[in-house]
Amino acid sequence: MKLRRAALRPFVFGVVGLLLLLALAYVTTRSGPLAPVRVTVTTVAIGSIEPALFGIGTVEARRAYVIGPVVAGRVRRVLVDVGDGVHRGDLLAEMEPVDLDERVGASASAHERGRSAIAVAEAQLRDAQSRQSLTTTEARRAADLGRGGVASQSSVDIALQAQAASEAQVAVAEASLTAARRDLARLGADRGAALQQRANIRLLAPADGIVSSRDAEPGSTVVAGQAVVKLLDPSSLWVNLRLDQNRSAGLGVGLPAHIVRRADPQQVLVGTVVRVEPISDSVTEERLCKVAFEVAPPGLSAAEMVEVSLTLPAISGVLTIPNASVRFRGAQPGVLRLADGALAFVPLTLGVEGRDGQVQVRNGLSAGDTIVVYSERDVSEGTRYRVVPSLAGGRQ
Amino acid sequence: MSGGIRLEGLSKRYGNGETAVQALVDVNMSVDPGEVVGLVGPSGSGKSTLLKCLGAIIEPTGGRMTLGGTTIYDDGWRIDDLRALRRDRIGFIFQAPYLIPFLDATDNVALLPMLAGLGNGQARARARELLQALDVAHRASALPSELSGVEQQRVSIARALANRPPVILADEPTAPLDSVRGLAVMRILHEMARQYETAIVVVTHDEKIIPTFKRIYSIRDGRTIEHVAAELTQA
Amino acid sequence: MISLAGRDILHSAGRFALTGLGLGLLIGVTFTMAGVYRGMIDDAEVLLENSGADLWVVQQDTLGPYAEPSSIHDDVYRDVLGVPGVAQATNVTYLTMQTQSRGRDVRAMVVGFVPGGPGEPLYLIAGRRLVRSHYEAVADVSAGFTLGERIQIRRHEYEVVGLTRRMVSSGGDPMVFVPLKDAQEAQFLKDNDAIVNERVRTATNPSLNRPGVPGVLDALTASQASNHTVNAVLVRVASGRSIEAVATDIQRWQHLEVFTRAQMEEILVAKLIATASRQIGMFLVILTVVSAAIVAFIIYTMTLGKIREIAVLKLIGTRNSTIAGMIVQQALGLGVIGFAVGKIAATLWGPWFPRYVLLLPGDAARGFVIVMVVCVLASTLAIRSALAVDPATAIGG
Repeated sequence: MKLRRAALRPFVFGVVGLLLLLALAYVTTRSGPLAPVRVTVTTVAIGSIEPALFGIGTVEARRAYVIGPVVAGRVRRVLVDVGDGVHRGDLLAEMEPVDLDERVGASASAHERGRSAIAVAEAQLRDAQSRQSLTTTEARRAADLGRGGVASQSSVDIALQAQAASEAQVAVAEASLTAARRDLARLGADRGAALQQRANIRLLAPADGIVSSRDAEPGSTVVAGQAVVKLLDPSSLWVNLRLDQNRSAGLGVGLPAHIVRRADPQQVLVGTVVRVEPISDSVTEERLCKVAFEVAPPGLSAAEMVEVSLTLPAISGVLTIPNASVRFRGAQPGVLRLADGALAFVPLTLGVEGRDGQVQVRNGLSAGDTIVVYSERDVSEGTRYRVVPSLAGGRQ
Repeated sequence: MSGGIRLEGLSKRYGNGETAVQALVDVNMSVDPGEVVGLVGPSGSGKSTLLKCLGAIIEPTGGRMTLGGTTIYDDGWRIDDLRALRRDRIGFIFQAPYLIPFLDATDNVALLPMLAGLGNGQARARARELLQALDVAHRASALPSELSGVEQQRVSIARALANRPPVILADEPTAPLDSVRGLAVMRILHEMARQYETAIVVVTHDEKIIPTFKRIYSIRDGRTIEHVAAELTQA
Repeated sequence: MISLAGRDILHSAGRFALTGLGLGLLIGVTFTMAGVYRGMIDDAEVLLENSGADLWVVQQDTLGPYAEPSSIHDDVYRDVLGVPGVAQATNVTYLTMQTQSRGRDVRAMVVGFVPGGPGEPLYLIAGRRLVRSHYEAVADVSAGFTLGERIQIRRHEYEVVGLTRRMVSSGGDPMVFVPLKDAQEAQFLKDNDAIVNERVRTATNPSLNRPGVPGVLDALTASQASNHTVNAVLVRVASGRSIEAVATDIQRWQHLEVFTRAQMEEILVAKLIATASRQIGMFLVILTVVSAAIVAFIIYTMTLGKIREIAVLKLIGTRNSTIAGMIVQQALGLGVIGFAVGKIAATLWGPWFPRYVLLLPGDAARGFVIVMVVCVLASTLAIRSALAVDPATAIGG
């Protein structure tokens, strides 16, 4: 039997028409707003959570020094440059002495003159003392003579008066000597001060370290307190870590840290939290802490940015859910639980969150519950849904 | 006589007043049921106008016309529904078969009865009957494009007969055919006329088929003249 | 009675189907245009819905944060939290910028948000929510990023840890969600050259760089490099409280501008989308007219090709209404095929458009009615010519 085209045609047309109709029905019900929302589900199970805190830190030197003059002056010479290693006591820079040398010389001369003044006063004292001994002897002789009736009373009086006068002169000479001695002491102190000031123009390294910046060149004028050279102790480099306040639960001294430098992201360095700052940053709402390197890497520089992960103790044997399944009704977190083919929002109390996105459920769910994880759209109780194995891939 | 074609003093004027053209002046024609007559005449003689009047396509302007026993025009009065008249009472056979290309042979023939209100099954049954009578039943489900010229013409004849009209008009049915085929067509027409008691008027130029007619009308300048066979053989 | 229209269609099925296909593609384009318009409105609604907020608090006298730039201090949220009825108030920043990944640029709206508050994506389709306080991101799939990919936003690299869907800006750009502080820095910090330039400028300013006060310059440079502004505060109102009342409270006491969701919708739709929607409306009209013209032309041509058969039909006694009906049925058949092809095509190619195309069932139903009406009207030309045919032309002469 030869199938005629004419007889076949209505059949073919009918089939094509039917296919078209089916395709139309398919696209109407399976896509677009009429289609059920695709979701994926998972079963709530007991697991473990490895929580971690994460923050950004900058490397700082715990011990850093600003070396500068105590009085305004001009820099005479700077002997070190950035990166040089120095030892405690090394001369780093020197200020211009200006008139200090002259002052020291002047005070030395004044000191010498004071010494001479003492010699003069001593001589005067000796002189007065010798006169006193003389007059004392004469007064005694005169008294004796007077008692013997040989000398007149007036000569006795004169002798006595001379004795008294010489005693007074001795006192004067003694006082002058004391004054001269005190003056010498004052001049000595002045000289000490001048020497001290002279010494302060030498800027010495207060500790071992490396020069981190050279801030003034020879010839520049600096004021008191302004830095000429800055030092830091490279062995004291640690990380100043900033953690978001609302993600810093469990922060404490001793937490192990994994540090990754921007400069070397492949290498993970190990450290520990050594101090939690008692004052937080209220503007940025961050808590601050210090993390020390176990072994400081070579080439570490201050003010470098690092990313730090603090490992909190893992907890196991708790109900965990992926945090992608957490939805909010108002401020209340919860999940959509699938029971008897229907979706219901279950409010939850959540606990710690792990670094892989698993979060602890304190209460609200039991092991074995099925919950919605991913969805194409926001789903709620009455939404028509369809469970699929995965959603990623494909457009819109 | 009832049935058949009766034309008495038929006239047709186109236009009015000075520009009027009198296409038919005085036409008289009578064809009995079962009879096949010829209609000859040169072009411009009013032959096509007469055919259109006979086919109830146009309305005459004078005279009287009866088809199949029904008066359809009488001196100014005209039957209402010419179209229904054409469908039910007049069959047409054209120069070319003019079959509907998207209907098969059966449906081409069954179309008219369906249009007249007959059920599909009955209409197709009658179509098959007619195709059988015309010896093309074996091509009943073929499309016109698959039929030979002869077969197409037979199907068109079947179509003309489908509503059992009392009158059939055939316009140059043998023009494209050779003498053998032409005579064969005339034989069929005579056969059908007799079988279905239909009055058939055949407009023709074809000399070869003149001998098949017993009577012929010739028309000239809007007037018809009846000729009988004896005359024709002599001519 | 057999269906003349049906038989004719069957007879030239191939040509009819191809014509229907072509018309269908045109109708598909029309549906897609309407879908783009609906998609734009949906983008705006989804933007507001997925922010999870009841109120938007922005800079006074602005229409921000989407329609206009808005800038407020990042500690304003604390004041807003104190207003009775406010359950949650969190900062949020929005900035449309270029992100880079694997050598290509993607334009995205970077959203800085605070986890747990409004502004966070409501749902994910893959991955997880942010766990770290820096340098993690959740991106919309339309950005083309995959899980684990590292993308560059301004000065930092972010790891894409989660994917979401339908989180787009009102301009159709995909959203990338990052921690608020990172977004503030991205919005504010310029490139290195500009920063160095700024520092030098500050250092050479004698009133800022005093020799006797060495710490001032550093403090000033540090303050220049920090950003404490956000674009808006998103508020969730406690259940049972009137949203309007809370909005009025905030507005009155805090000298800020507050918008409810309805007001934000109006801003987005009326102001942002208005021009685009007018353009699309014009396109729809033009496409409909073009479709009508094409249907009219096709049906007219098909009818002209059947003029002789129509003359024959009329001659042998077919009613005018039957003939007209055949033509109208063919036009409607073409319309049905065109509609089906168009709807299927629009659904299939819709997801590949850069903007979201939303095909609503109501639009499809309206489209169907319009297609049918257009087909009927378009067939009137052919019907007129068919009815004008003189049956006598079937008879030569």
